[in-house]
Formats: sequence, structure tokens, C-alpha cells
Amino acid sequence: MSEAITGQNHSVRPPGDVNPRTEAALDFPDRPYGTLSAEDYAILGFMAGLEVHQQLHTRSKLFCRCPAGRYVDGCDAEVLRHMRPTLSELGEYDGTALMEFKTKKEIVYLLERGSVCTYEIDDTPPFHMDHEAVSIALEIAMLLDLNLVSELHVMRKQYLDGSIPTGFQRTAMVGLTGEIPFLVPELGIDRSLRIRQLSLEEDSCREVRDVGHRITFRTDRLGMPLTETVTEPDLLNPLELQAGARLVARIAQATGKVRRGPGAARQDVNVSVAGGRRVEIKGVPYHRGLPRLVHIEAFRQLNLLRVKAELENRAIGADVVALPDGGIPWEVSALVADVTGELSGSGHRPLREAIERGETAVAVRLGGFAGLLSHRTQPGRTFAGELAERVRVIACPEHRPFLAHSDQDPSPLTDREWRDVRRSVAASASDSVVVAWMPRDDAATAAREILLRAGEALVGIPAETRQALPDGTTGFERILPGPDRMYPDTDTPPLPVSDRAVAAVRTTLPDPPWTREQRYRELGLEPGAARRLASAPWAGVFDAVAPTVPEVAQRVASALEMRVPFLGRRGHATMTAERIAPLVRTLEAGTIRPEATERALDDLLRHPDREPDALLERYRVREDAAERCERRVAEVVAQTSALNGTDSEGVLRWAMGRVMPAFLGQLDPRYVRERLTTALSASSQRGFA
Amino acid sequence: MTVPTADPYRGYRGPTRAVMERFGITVWCEVRAETTRGTFEGLLLPRSETSDELHLVLKLGVGYNVGIRHDTVRSLEKIGYREAHYQIPEKAFPRNASLPAVKLLGTGGTIASRLDYRTGAVIPAFSPGELYGSVPELADICNLETEKLFGVFSENMGPEQYLILAEKCGEAIREGYDGIVIGHGTDTMHHTAAVLSYMVQRPPVPIIMVGSQRSSDRPSSDAAQNLINATWAAAHGPIAEVLVCMFGPTSDRYNLLHRGTRVRKMHSSYRSTFRTLGDIPVAMVELGKVTPLKEDVEPRRTDRDVLVQAAFDDRVSIVYYYPGMKADVVDALVERGYRGLVIAGTGLGHVNRVIYPALERARDAGVQVYMTLQTLWGFVQMHVYETGREILELGVVPLANMLPEAAYVKLGWALGLHPADADTVRRLMTTPLAGDMTEREPHDGYLVFQGGVPEIQEFLREVWR
Repeated sequence: MSEAITGQNHSVRPPGDVNPRTEAALDFPDRPYGTLSAEDYAILGFMAGLEVHQQLHTRSKLFCRCPAGRYVDGCDAEVLRHMRPTLSELGEYDGTALMEFKTKKEIVYLLERGSVCTYEIDDTPPFHMDHEAVSIALEIAMLLDLNLVSELHVMRKQYLDGSIPTGFQRTAMVGLTGEIPFLVPELGIDRSLRIRQLSLEEDSCREVRDVGHRITFRTDRLGMPLTETVTEPDLLNPLELQAGARLVARIAQATGKVRRGPGAARQDVNVSVAGGRRVEIKGVPYHRGLPRLVHIEAFRQLNLLRVKAELENRAIGADVVALPDGGIPWEVSALVADVTGELSGSGHRPLREAIERGETAVAVRLGGFAGLLSHRTQPGRTFAGELAERVRVIACPEHRPFLAHSDQDPSPLTDREWRDVRRSVAASASDSVVVAWMPRDDAATAAREILLRAGEALVGIPAETRQALPDGTTGFERILPGPDRMYPDTDTPPLPVSDRAVAAVRTTLPDPPWTREQRYRELGLEPGAARRLASAPWAGVFDAVAPTVPEVAQRVASALEMRVPFLGRRGHATMTAERIAPLVRTLEAGTIRPEATERALDDLLRHPDREPDALLERYRVREDAAERCERRVAEVVAQTSALNGTDSEGVLRWAMGRVMPAFLGQLDPRYVRERLTTALSASSQRGFA
Repeated sequence: MTVPTADPYRGYRGPTRAVMERFGITVWCEVRAETTRGTFEGLLLPRSETSDELHLVLKLGVGYNVGIRHDTVRSLEKIGYREAHYQIPEKAFPRNASLPAVKLLGTGGTIASRLDYRTGAVIPAFSPGELYGSVPELADICNLETEKLFGVFSENMGPEQYLILAEKCGEAIREGYDGIVIGHGTDTMHHTAAVLSYMVQRPPVPIIMVGSQRSSDRPSSDAAQNLINATWAAAHGPIAEVLVCMFGPTSDRYNLLHRGTRVRKMHSSYRSTFRTLGDIPVAMVELGKVTPLKEDVEPRRTDRDVLVQAAFDDRVSIVYYYPGMKADVVDALVERGYRGLVIAGTGLGHVNRVIYPALERARDAGVQVYMTLQTLWGFVQMHVYETGREILELGVVPLANMLPEAAYVKLGWALGLHPADADTVRRLMTTPLAGDMTEREPHDGYLVFQGGVPEIQEFLREVWR
């Protein structure tokens, strides 16, 4: 399943999962995010890649004609389903191989009739693929410099967590192997980022609730078209990762045809460090938290490698945690004991109440692990947390807490209770013991999972998919599937992508962000503003009005950035090149001064029913401006007597506020300020009237 | 499933085959393709015969399949070779002397499958060992033997298959099995269920038909639950009739057992498509429990008596009446030698005046004509309107609330059994057999509610669909 990356990585075989450097940096001390340099991450062997999921802005969903983007809170009906794994030719026949099944989840889907049809609940075969989505995916693939396939083959990628009612996601490969410029001067990055692939696929359900053995999903988002862009693991430190994510996002946004806003784009991150293997962190919604998240994950992995090294020092072998297949753990193994009786009067309330509910308390011996359960893995978390996470996800206990261990200090159990528990599993001083309490069947599952995870500690870093938590740590989500569980979707015929279709999409291709950015920088925008404009939805309008004077370009870009999002839907609706062009022309001609840009733009967008010329009139430079200004200055200065006690700077500010609005666009604010300052000092010299 | 590896160009023809030959490439080669759209590397898979002849299919290392158009190919370089071996390692189905013996007869359709991820092939699992691997719960229910009779899509099932299937049921009963399960495609499951109800009468053990609405390779498939419940009903269930066992609601809750003559597939794809019409289902099956819903059911017996009458005359047709239908449609059937017609008439069993003469000519030619209902629910009642009375006089025989499909197979069977005895055929047709006509329709025999209506919306919010 895992292959080392050799020099010649044929893409005929699955890509490698193991970090190319095999020596872990075990001596590197744990340090918080923000204190490491790029060289430090290089020492750690840090390596990361991205999988960016981007929703496309289409009218309908990908494989049915339901509306895309309709999010609802209500529910008309519910459907209950279960998932069964399909065995491969390598699969096990043993009935208990479906052990996971016995704790299988009940999966409830909430349906709302406006957002789903019988396709989503897997009661109708797919309709033909949405052509709008295919075009947009091709466009993004071209911007990413990918080799386009001639025929889209829809595949089934199995997921058993219930997030898709069919149990698989329909996904098709659109393009492969490209390279894009990766230029981030502030981080010293000037190279390229390799893109492995882009696929077109359907989005999954939104999780509503996950308690015990029942998980509930909302189906509104299900079936919306997504592109998944996968990069090579070329990102060598957390800030690079963030920059890479932003770059990929900007490229999709450059098309103007992707959804924006919360949830429209999510990234999965693959991280590994030297001596380890990749772990996937799923569903990170914001770029902001990425660097800290992957930093913490890198050190979690390093700490697991330290645990492994310590276990090797102690000569602990896999047999120490081995459990026979089948049967109830505490009946077939001396490593596990039913300690319900010993703990029934416990002072630890969660435990006592569980036993009162008729649940089982189980003890598990981890031979030779003494002290390792409290080994730090993440900020505020220990190795015991890794065990608890597995139990939580796979055994599905409803109540928490459900676990205690012998390394805990202070401990929820008394010394005497620990003595009894240790005796029940014949644990010596060099052994750790874990106690878990939950319904009997779940307790059996928990015992198995604890021993399984302890066994994986001997290997180092288990292949996992983890979820990002708000504090920057990660939690176990599921075992990372081995080779992709993918096979052709026989419900859909292959879709040809002809040269003519590709050419048609090419004509609509926007400039890639880096080309755009450079153009804006040449126009006079500073790098940050140039980058933001390149990925803004109004970039097209900006290009259409084509300001040529640097100061005007800067002001227009800034004004758009300030006003359009603020005006929301209204702003977008009126913001056409036609509407804005008159303003740009007058600014360039000098008939309106640049300071008025933002206000004037705002007027144009807020009052679409009024003629631009009429709205712009008040900002136009007029011959008598200076004269009128003098009169106004005099008026206002006369009123400053009411400001007795205010400092002179405050008075000036107040006065500017009374004078400038009438002359915005007509007079240089510095000139007005200078006139006011003169008039105010003259007046104060005279004394107040 | 075995793959004949003899043909190195499986499915490739015309221009794609020419490209392969030009570069010395066959199926299962690992190739590097240089094309006008860039370089692609992957395993060359066989091409489906229903796909065009213009594209090569590669399976990439990441698992995806892609198509490469032949005229974009500049070169194909062979960098390896990986032949497909569809070998399913087999383990024996565990035997338990205390459990009943069930015979599973396969007609086609995939009640269970396995996946070859290397190539993407879906391989039917059918032998007991293979089924055990897919649905291990079966080993807790019975000792299973399987026999594959044919491998056809159910729309291709026909009289020839019905005869074999009926004989095999008889054989399994004589051999002492405690129950029979028949794996069948869902499209015509109700036709087969009906004809078996006639061909295999008064079985001492359950004969349960089962299939899956969603392909069994997918994690969400109804296949496993259907198979588990069907096997349970066959092994332990108290009802010895020909029954269809499929989902109740579309949720994974319970299965229903439907009498073979009253069941029909009512939706093209819903899991909950099979419904008993004009009555309630015979029983519910769920988690190792059969709960009869009706009292008048045939109980399981210890004897091995069964009446197997496997015969079928396929010169029978269903005529689906429509307004404006002309006489020549019926005449044509009669002229071509059809011996029996089942009309699916409108309303209470009506057709237009225009075809009366044709019905007369049919009667004179000795063709038996019967009336059933397009509405599917309700009774043929030809005395109520003049039209009905007129049609009766033309010798058309009403069939109460028999379903059109059941009437069709019954007529074919009766004519096959008694080719020269029209009166016996008529008697058989008009005598209720295996519940194909009922004396009464209870108030809950017809429940087709409309969505959108407030009380229904409220109900839907309270139950799992």
C-alpha cells in the first residue's frame, strides 16, 4: 500500500505516501507556531500538498437538474440508510471482518424538496453531466496548465461515512500534470508549483449531528459540482502551504465562475515529516488557520515517532498488544478484563452512572507502555488522546468522558481502584492500563481499537484522515483508505472532450492571476493591491474601463475594493463597465480630482436610475471653486467660536469636515486645508468675535 | 466472471485498434502516451463494446480512468505489462447442522458482487463461498447451496426460463430443502413470481424471489438487506408460498413479502418499488423476524408434495387499449395465430366500439380474450355500463382484480397445459389461484397518496421514508 518515492515515479502506479527522508528529527524540540524558520522546517523534513475543493457557480447540480447553491434549514422528510463495505478481490471472508458493521452507524438524511430529487437519495440513476460544470472545469484546468483528457470517465470513489447516500462519490479526471508560477516575494518564493490533477466531482452532504450510533446529514449541498485540484507535495513550510492555497484559490476565482463565500472552497492538506508518512487533514475552510494547523500536525507526527523510538528502546513487540480474531476480548485474552464489578461503586461520576445504566467497564493492558500515555502529542493533548479518539469514532459511545488511564495525574480513579484494575489484567509496573466504560458491544469494540492503536504506535504514524479543530489541533476522523477505492461508474457513459470544445473554452479563458497581477503592477498598483484585484470578481470591469493613469488606476482599484463588497448584491448588479467608464474618463481628463473617486463610485452604484453625468456633476472642477472655497472657509471659521476649548488640530479637523465635502473632486484637499489653516490662525490671532 | 484473454484488443476496433497495432500495444500494457494534449501514463484497459471506437482507456496510478482520442496520439510506449487475473480466493461457507438448508437459484442480476480495484471490474459473487464473503450474515441463517440456472437480464427472461425454473423448484423441494431463494432481475420479477405461482402450486416450503434495485457493488445497495431477509424468510419463515421479498420503504428498515400474483414493480428505480396491489402484503421481514400481516396464508408443511406443472404457450399477448385504437391491431394478432389475448382495458374494463368486430372475429377463430384493468387497482365490472355489457356479449371474459401481467402468464400457462381444451383453460383462468383474484378489496388495498398535501407532508415528517 505504501511505496517509497523512487527516482522514477511512474504515474502508472499509485503515488507514494512515505516521506522521502527516513531519519526522523527526534531531537528537535517542540516549539509553538511562529517560532520556526524555513530552515527549521527543512530540518524536520516537512512536506505538504494540497487538495482544494472548489464549488463551481452553475445553475444546477452536477448529475441532476436540482438547483445548485440552495441551502436550507428546513426538512420535509427523512430517509434512513446503512453502508456496507464492498469487498475487493483481496478482501477477507471472515464474518467478523465486518466487525465495524456491528457498530455500524444509522445514517439519517434530511430532505427538502426544493434542493434534492430522487437522484440524491440514490433512488434514481444519474442524469447526464452538467455541461456548464464541465466547461468551467476545463477552464480552470487550462489555467493550471494541465494536460486535458479526450474523454471524461466518471468513476466511483467509495466513502462509507455516510456523507454521500450512494456510498460513493462520482468523480471524473479532467486534467493532469501541470506547473504554475509560484511567486511570493515576501516569503522569498520564486519557483513553480506542480499540479498533479484536477477532477470534477459532486459535493457531499453537510453533517448536522453525530451522536452515538446515529449520524444525521443535510442533503442540500449534495450533488453540487466541485473541482478538486491536487498539488504535488512541493510546499515545504506552513507559510508556503498557505500561499499555495491562496494561489490555487485565486486561479479558480479568476474565471469568475466559481462560488465564493463560506463553505464554497475547502482544502484538504497532506502533511508529513522525515521518518513518517503522509496524514490527511480534511475540510479546512479558511486559509487563515492553515499554517498553525500544519505546524501542530508536524509536531504531532514527530512526537509519535518519539513514542515509537521509545517503544523500540524498550524492546516492545507487536505480540504484546495482539488480540485473537473473533470472540469477546475479555473472554479470549488476558490483556483485557471486564471490571464492571470492581468499579461499580466508583466515586468518578461518569463511570458510576455508566455502570448504573447497565454498561460495561473494561480494562486493557498495554504492556511496556508505562508513562507513554501521557507523552505530549499536540498542545494540550497526549498520546492517550490518540486512543480515546479511535474509541470515540469507532465504538461510538454516547456519553463522555468514557475513558481513564493509569498515566493520568491527577487520576479520576482511586489508588485502590487502580490496584484492582491492574490486578484484573495482571499489569506490572512497566505496563499502562486503560479503562473504558460504555454499552457492552461498544466496550468490546473499544478494547479492540485501543490495542490496535497501541500496535500502530510501534509502526509510528498510522495512515489517517484527521479533522481540523478550531484550536488548530486535529482529531481522528477515519483510517486513510489504502489504494483509492475507485472503479468505473457504469451508470454514466464517457463524455468526449473534443478539440473544438477545448478551443471554445480557450476563447473565454481569462488571464491567469500572475499575468494579471503583473499588468496591474505595471499600471502602478502596489503588489498587495495588484494581487487582490487580480482575484476580485470586478477585475473584468476594471480591465474594461482600462484606466491608464497610475493614480487613477490606484484610486479606481481601491474604490472598487471598498465599495463593491459593501454594497453587496446591489453593488454587483450595477457595477458594469458602462456605468463606471464616465467616472474613469473624467478622472483621467482631470475634470474630477482623484480624491473623489470612492464617493463618486458609491453614488454611481447606489443610484442606478440616475444618469452618471448628473451624479458626477457635483464633483467636477469649476472655475469659481477657489472663490467659493474662500467664502465657505470664512463661514466655517466664523462658526469655530462654538468650539471653545477644543485643541487646534481638532478644530481644523472639524472645519475640514464642514468645508471639504462641497469641494471634493474640485479642489486639492491640501489646498483647502492650507486655506483653512491660514484662516483659522488669522482668526485666532484676531481673537474670537 | 472469466475474461477471455485471447483477444489482445478487447473492445478496440477501427481507428483505436489501428493506433494500438501501429505501436505494438495491447490491452493490459502499461503505456506512456505522448499526445497533442500532453503526456499520459497508465494501464490500457479493455474498451466497452457500447462505447465508441475513437478513444483509448487508461487507468492512471491514482485510480482514475481517462479516455485518449486516437488522433491525439503521437506515440505509445510500452513500459510494463499487468495481466488481469480475476481470481476470487474462496473460502467455504461454514456449515451448521442445526440450521435449515436453503437452495439459491440464480437467473441473472447481481445479488452480490466483488470489486477488482486494479481494473475496475465488478465481479458477481454467486457461489456459497463468494456470497459468504459478501454477506457473511447468511451463515448465521442457513446452510446455503447455490445453482446458477442462467445469467440474463430479467427483461430477457421468458417462457423457456420459466419452465426450467419451475422444474428446478420442484427438484429442490424433492431434495428436501427447507426453503428456496431465487435471485432475479427486478424488471420482470413480478412476471416470474406470478408464473411460478401457477407452475409450482402448494409448495410445502417458502419460495422467495429477491433482487436489488441498486447495484450490489455500492455500499448503499439494498442487495444485502434483501438477501438476508429473503434467506431468513426461506429458511425460517412460516409462510410457504411464492413470494417477492424487497424493501418496504426506501429507508433501510424492513422488507415486505408480497404474494407472487399480486405484486408489481411500480417505479423504475426506487428501492421501495415493489407493492402489493389491491390488498396488503403477506408479511414484514426484519432482523430475523417474519411478521405476517394477513391471516390467510399457506403455512409451512413437513411433507414434500408439490404440484409442478411446467408448460407455456407463448402465443399470448397483452393488448394495452388506448382511445382511437383500431380493429386491425387485434386482427393482426389473430391472423398471426395468437391463441390468447389479455386486454388491459380502461375504467371498469372497457374498449371502444371500433374494435368490437375484431373481438368477434377473435372469438370465432377460437382465440380466448380476457379483460383486466389499466388502472391496476379495482375490479373489472362489465355489467355497470353498456360498454361493458356489450363487450361481455362478444365473449370477452372478465378477470375481477387480476393484474394484467399475472393474467398474461396465467393464460400462457393454461394454454400450454391444455392446448386443446378451451373450456378447461377458461375454468382455470376464472378460478382464483394463489390469490390472483380476491373476493374483497380491503380499504387499504389502494393507498396512493399525493405529495404536497398538508396532512401527507406532516406524515412524511414523522416517519423515515
